[in-house]
Amino acid sequence: MGRSFDEELQYLERKTDYCWTIKKGFVPNMQVEGAFYVNSHLEKLMLEELRNSCRGGIGGFLPGVKQIANVAALPGIVKNSIGLPDVHSGYGFAIGNMAAFDMDDPESIVSPGGVGFDINCGVRLIRTNLDETDVTPVKEQLCQSLFDHIPVGVGSKGVIPMQAKDLNEALEMGVDWSLREGYAWAEDKEHCEEYGRLLQADPSKVSAKAKKRGLPQLGTLGAGNHYAEIQVVDEIFDKHAANKMGIDHKGQVCVMVHCGSRGLGHQVATDALVAMEKAMARDKIIVNDRQLACAHIKSAEGQDYLKGMFAAGNYAWVNRSSMTFLTRQAFGKVFNCPPDDLDMQLIYDVSHNIAKVEEHMVNGKQKTLLVHRKGSTRAFPPHHPLIPVDYQLTGQPVLIGGTMGTCSYVLTGTQHGMDTTFGTTCHGAGRALSRAKSRRNLDYQEVLDKLAEKGISIRVASPKLVMEEAPESYKDVTEVVNTCHEAGISKKAIKLRPIAVIKG
Amino acid sequence: MSEYAKASDYDKVEKQFEYLDHTADVQIHSWGKTVEEAFEHACLGMFNYMTDVDGVLPRKTVEITAEGTDYLSLLYHFMDEFLFLSCTDDYFMARQIEILEFDKEKWKIRARGYGEDFERARHGGKGTEVKAITYSAMKVLPEADKTDIFVIIDI
Repeated sequence: MGRSFDEELQYLERKTDYCWTIKKGFVPNMQVEGAFYVNSHLEKLMLEELRNSCRGGIGGFLPGVKQIANVAALPGIVKNSIGLPDVHSGYGFAIGNMAAFDMDDPESIVSPGGVGFDINCGVRLIRTNLDETDVTPVKEQLCQSLFDHIPVGVGSKGVIPMQAKDLNEALEMGVDWSLREGYAWAEDKEHCEEYGRLLQADPSKVSAKAKKRGLPQLGTLGAGNHYAEIQVVDEIFDKHAANKMGIDHKGQVCVMVHCGSRGLGHQVATDALVAMEKAMARDKIIVNDRQLACAHIKSAEGQDYLKGMFAAGNYAWVNRSSMTFLTRQAFGKVFNCPPDDLDMQLIYDVSHNIAKVEEHMVNGKQKTLLVHRKGSTRAFPPHHPLIPVDYQLTGQPVLIGGTMGTCSYVLTGTQHGMDTTFGTTCHGAGRALSRAKSRRNLDYQEVLDKLAEKGISIRVASPKLVMEEAPESYKDVTEVVNTCHEAGISKKAIKLRPIAVIKG
Repeated sequence: MSEYAKASDYDKVEKQFEYLDHTADVQIHSWGKTVEEAFEHACLGMFNYMTDVDGVLPRKTVEITAEGTDYLSLLYHFMDEFLFLSCTDDYFMARQIEILEFDKEKWKIRARGYGEDFERARHGGKGTEVKAITYSAMKVLPEADKTDIFVIIDI
């Protein structure tokens, strides 16, 4: 584009201590303004990404702030393109970017980039009635048991038997399939976003190629930033909300699982991008960035993608259910009792890469919107009809996974968040250092030693990943969560720290 | 295993690629005297992220075809075909990619991969899964005597 950093800054304005506006004109065709939530510390990282991009040269990538603005240029967008505090550069949409589109506007689009390749990548938190003192004597054994039960890493295959017919049923039914097959408890469905099943899913909209990738991978953790962690309650900020989640004291042991739809979801996104490129040429949709490939929601391509994406979403819930099953087995084995006795109930399961049809108030009127949440999490407030009965008074639990070896959080949704961000909040820490930089600057053994010092057991299938996933490579999740809390878009309830990590 | 060759019996793989800084994922920069070479090494760069390609023996040959409408979409589908082979059936890993045909008018490629199926003991723990190829900041820059490619892969 050729503007200097100072020229670019003219389009950015700090509205409050925690919120910035991106004015129209920052990129061409903006239909609405952009906005992003940061505190003073995170603001520096955002602006540094922008400054680096202004330097030019070959290679390089669009900074998050430009991507938020490019999304604001998409047809049918309502209110704002919003960046959450963990926002950083992604493909098309930034990661940590929410955008909602008016379903009544025929120009409105759906974009796979606004969901992400890892459709329904998400997090779930399982509680136990164990205390840290119960687990410490058998920690290594427990960590090993989890690692042995849960398939991780390149080339890993699922251990739960699956045929093509099972896969189709799983794609259609989501958690209902897991329930029927005996891999999930009835209460798990109640405590899952969408009750673990997107009803408009259509397995026939998932290509044979995607199914081929998905079949052997059901029940595997994957690699990258996916993990299973044994965590311990470190701090309770909101006693009432925590109690409703079955958390009542510091030191209580939980398990957090973070993973998505594996190769199946990635293939669904890839297939859609190809189809939509053609649709865009046909329907003359113009976007600022090729990776923002999209289609009109009501078009054949748009509908096919949504139905296939919902099926991939269901796959991810079956995957997380399978991992819950394996986790319960692993614990049961080590403590020599049925998982029921350990009260290993699901607290909640959230998605942070998804698009949903939701009702929201816009300028005093109720509207039906297609809300894209990429690297961001739904955070519905108290009394919202779509959240479980248990959480009607406290608001929907939001699970924020920290990075390897750092703390995680449970938040609750707020009315202010519903009003300002369509009930959306952050999803995690967000990266700060590139993977290449991490591998150059961090030492594998040092990272492991630091974790050992904190008393954290670790099993990694891809040691190369250890530096790339080190906490130093990420933004500080506490800063991110505090920013959301201060901005009023979600409330802190619980802080957890890891004592064992299983990574792909 | 003793009747087979060992990785050390082979020359180190010629690597015309590097990994560049990107916040969330990995940007591969590959190059070559020709467009074909740059394409081949972009793909090799992807495999080298999954495992150490020097540890992959040339025991199996696979062949793929890819189509596109321009250099960018052709690169995307070319790499995606190999990515698909790496995560299905036998989990194929390549140590060398060879383009047999590159039609710059119809935008078609026919290519071979030389390598072997993933074996945990020998190839495991040396890399990570690649989720997808992306169009993000993708560039194919053919010049008279050198081509550069930039492509971001999703980890």
